[in-house]
Amino acid sequence: MGNKDDEYDYLFKVVLIGDSGVGKSNLLSRFTRNEFNLESKSTIGVEFATRSIQVDAKTIKAQIWDTAGQERYRAITSAYYRGAVGALLVYDIAKHLTYENVERWLKELRDHADNNIVIMLVGNKSDLRHLRAVPTDEAKAFSEKNGLSFIETSALDSTNVEVAFHNILTEIYRIVSQKQINDSQNEDDPTDGKAVEVIIPSTSNSTTNKQQGCCKNL
Amino acid sequence: MAGINLSDRKETLFLEALGSPVIDMNNLRKLCSTGIVETCGIRTICWRLLLNCLPKQRTKWPEALEKQRCEYQQFLNEMIIEPGLKRCNAAPGLDDHPLNPNPTSEWNSYFKDNDILLQIDKDVRRLCPDIAFFQNATAYPCEPLVSPTSRLENLRKRVERSVLSSQNLTRKRLGISNLISSRKQASREYDTLEEGQEAHWEVVERILFIYAKLNPGTAYVQGMNEIIGPLYYTLASDPNLEWKEHAEADTFFCFTNLMGEIRDNFIKSLDKSGSGIEASMNRVLCLLRQVDPEVWLRLDSLAIKPQFYLFRWITLLLSQEFSLPDVIHIWDILFSDSRRFDFLIAVCSAMIILLRDEILTRDFSHNMKLLQNYPLRIDVNTIISKAKEIYHNLRN
Repeated sequence: MGNKDDEYDYLFKVVLIGDSGVGKSNLLSRFTRNEFNLESKSTIGVEFATRSIQVDAKTIKAQIWDTAGQERYRAITSAYYRGAVGALLVYDIAKHLTYENVERWLKELRDHADNNIVIMLVGNKSDLRHLRAVPTDEAKAFSEKNGLSFIETSALDSTNVEVAFHNILTEIYRIVSQKQINDSQNEDDPTDGKAVEVIIPSTSNSTTNKQQGCCKNL
Repeated sequence: MAGINLSDRKETLFLEALGSPVIDMNNLRKLCSTGIVETCGIRTICWRLLLNCLPKQRTKWPEALEKQRCEYQQFLNEMIIEPGLKRCNAAPGLDDHPLNPNPTSEWNSYFKDNDILLQIDKDVRRLCPDIAFFQNATAYPCEPLVSPTSRLENLRKRVERSVLSSQNLTRKRLGISNLISSRKQASREYDTLEEGQEAHWEVVERILFIYAKLNPGTAYVQGMNEIIGPLYYTLASDPNLEWKEHAEADTFFCFTNLMGEIRDNFIKSLDKSGSGIEASMNRVLCLLRQVDPEVWLRLDSLAIKPQFYLFRWITLLLSQEFSLPDVIHIWDILFSDSRRFDFLIAVCSAMIILLRDEILTRDFSHNMKLLQNYPLRIDVNTIISKAKEIYHNLRN
């Protein structure tokens, strides 16, 4: 096939989560297409985009998944979190409630995602300085306490969007490459040739591969 | 020239069908199934008929419309105008107060409604952002709500206030009480038209709020805004002013009837039931498997799950997949289906099959993006013909 699609060393799945209206879709479009929509449509179900970046001369392809913030759409979450190695947990610095709900989202991650998932807390809309409702120090302290990395971004004026994605992807890369070294030391067979992998095997969920009760015809 | 004659001819057929004293619904469905003509406000009457908002007997129309519109006016009074007046006039009652934990407390339900209202507000403001229509002022605002002399709390004020009160609270937590500047900033963020005017999105907000109050089981779920959008747009753009004037009330009934048929897609607890979204998604996949097993197998082996694309296609009746004029054209045909919404299943299968070459050769990422951003190069008429081919082959 030789598509450009296939040329990468690592493939990492990263999910965007957080309350409705905090700007998840705009972070996604800013990072993957360098676009911002002041009036973007509400996300129904999931949205998906990719972008490749370079770290240590390796090509890392990020698969970024965005989902609707509203409760109804949690139904499709098990497939959404499966295989995810990173999560950007987004709140709006001008809406305190979206920050208060961070706890709930962390619980959601604990319930559905892999235990080793790398989580970054993202305070979005940092351009709304005059409306700030969540102090940076408070969010930073919270992140440290919970072992999350932390950054404030603005998808509108692009501040820190690149940095946020780069940081989380690099962090995942470091963990994974370290793990590979350790693994190969423990094995007789060195992993051969081109290593293309999705990291963190899906947490065994046998029901997922089965097609559900089918064939009620038109 | 032949094209013009053909569309003239089609218009005549529609006018004849709608002109008869008792409308032959089978004939009308057949006419609509190739798309409704754009002229004379024919579409809005056809949609009302197809969605059971108008009786078949023409002579009953005035009475039926009058009844519906009065009913809507009552809902408006009960759910928005009267509570709004109460909020600005009433002296605080002795037996009820904002911290009353009693579930029957009016304050309690007021706060609960505010959560719903804020969610609706967030979504209707971003309705069809690629066209200006919803941001423009309607020629038919609800007078008692927008009159500059009225002090009643309309939805606009209610949204502003609840946003403000939550901000006020957070400011206090920080020990800062610079309320004046925060009030100014909040109203700038929540900018609306001048007093006395109302944007179309505010009308849509009101309809959704009333629907949510009347249907507490479903209330409001994100995505309903995308269902009501094309309905309201069509009715509020009617060239016949006597119809256009009542776009708000009539949209409410069209929306309510349409939701009656597709509501289960919005209810999480019904996802796995026979009428829920999973059953519909499976029907598309089964049809695909029958018609094009190779493509079905490819999607299955790539683990491209129906939740990733079909979920939105079906829940929103394709309204986010195409431009508004195309959505309206597709809806003509979907609404004309006598076995609503079986034809939608065929349309979704056709949409997938028309991408077969790419699906078969490209990888997971590419195909995901393809299915989530349906390519413009494929004309909706191509999709419809393909869907009809599938639908008819299957039923013969």
